Amino acid sequence: MGESLKGAVDMHMLMEPIFAGWIGYILADLGSGVYHWGIDNYGDGSTPFFGSQIEAFQGHHKWPWTITRRQFSNNLHALARAITFSVLPINLLCHDPVVQSFVGVFAGCIMFSQQFHAWAHGTKSRLPPAVVALQEAGVLVSRSQHSAHHRPPYNNNYCIVSGLWNEFLDKNKVFEAMEMVLYFKLGVRPRSWSEPESEWMEEIDMAS
Amino acid sequence: MNMASLTAPKHYSLPTFLRPQSPKYPSHYPLLSTSSASQFCGLKLSFSTPNANAASPLLLPSVFAKVSKGSKPPPFTLKDQDGKTVSLSKFKGKPVVVYFYPADETPGCTKQACAFRDSYEKFKKAGAEVVGISGDDPSSHKAFATKYRLPFTLLSDEGNKVRKQWGVPGDFFGALPGRETYVLDKNGVVQLVYNNQFQPEKHIDETLKLLQG
Repeated sequence: MGESLKGAVDMHMLMEPIFAGWIGYILADLGSGVYHWGIDNYGDGSTPFFGSQIEAFQGHHKWPWTITRRQFSNNLHALARAITFSVLPINLLCHDPVVQSFVGVFAGCIMFSQQFHAWAHGTKSRLPPAVVALQEAGVLVSRSQHSAHHRPPYNNNYCIVSGLWNEFLDKNKVFEAMEMVLYFKLGVRPRSWSEPESEWMEEIDMAS
Repeated sequence: MNMASLTAPKHYSLPTFLRPQSPKYPSHYPLLSTSSASQFCGLKLSFSTPNANAASPLLLPSVFAKVSKGSKPPPFTLKDQDGKTVSLSKFKGKPVVVYFYPADETPGCTKQACAFRDSYEKFKKAGAEVVGISGDDPSSHKAFATKYRLPFTLLSDEGNKVRKQWGVPGDFFGALPGRETYVLDKNGVVQLVYNNQFQPEKHIDETLKLLQG
């Protein structure tokens, strides 16, 4: 991001990198939704590479509030590792400020998405006022939008950066269409089509 | 163009005077899929046609006229959920709603079947019968019908032969079997063709509107 800013100032162009950054923010939300949809619906603990994440997501569905008890770095380190490995080579190879701005914002949003997600599980009284303001402004995914994802049939509101894609994707049944196509092409049924298994359903804890 | 949009695709068939009465070669050639396409002046290619080659538009081994309003669909004989053979001719003398759907036990199809079930009395009152057709086998239909207490006939169009014969268009370039409903009058002539993949309950509204109107 810093390199992008310097490059932009050097080349006397500001609008393009800003625009590219904004596009990165927009697409990060979409990306978070698609990824989330994939992990929630397909595979299980034994799936290679993704197995542990899939289990983690299912565990989150069972005990959603625990995400608010995790520390900042705990929420971010797994994503940060993935981001480092993908962004570093781009940073080394490419010096165009527009590209760097896009990549920087996109990667940043993805990296912080787990924190945005955790904040979406928080309660208004316990969140920093700035966070609440950003949620209410639609810059970060809101608590109400995300809680809709945690109710049966668990098949909507998958985006967790800003949530701005959720209404469009759900209204146009985009994920349902993708699920149908995958079913017909590969014969795989997504988890959201079946009644949730008890291990997957939220445990209602009176204490929280 | 309906195929590329993400909103519920809806196509109404062309009025009779625009639809060619006998099969003829199309004036343009679809660039993408070989699945039937309603934008294609009422004609469709057989699924056995090899992939579209825009340079040679005349390679059409077999062409069926698509079923549309005013036409009499080709007869069929298929097995129902109890394994009994059912012919289209059985329904002559009363209106029949023939609805093609992608597959049993999928969210949209379940919604649609349940909506037909919940309005079944209205269909009966209008003197009409309801028949659902998909590529699933009779045992799948039996389980589906039992689970959701469906009171009407489900037919197994194994290999999707009837679907192709009738020219039911697919969605997303043929990746998804289309959801299309035909209403036949008591003489067996099609009076309505309604297509909508993602708003399945609308099929009930539209067909009832015609039958009760």
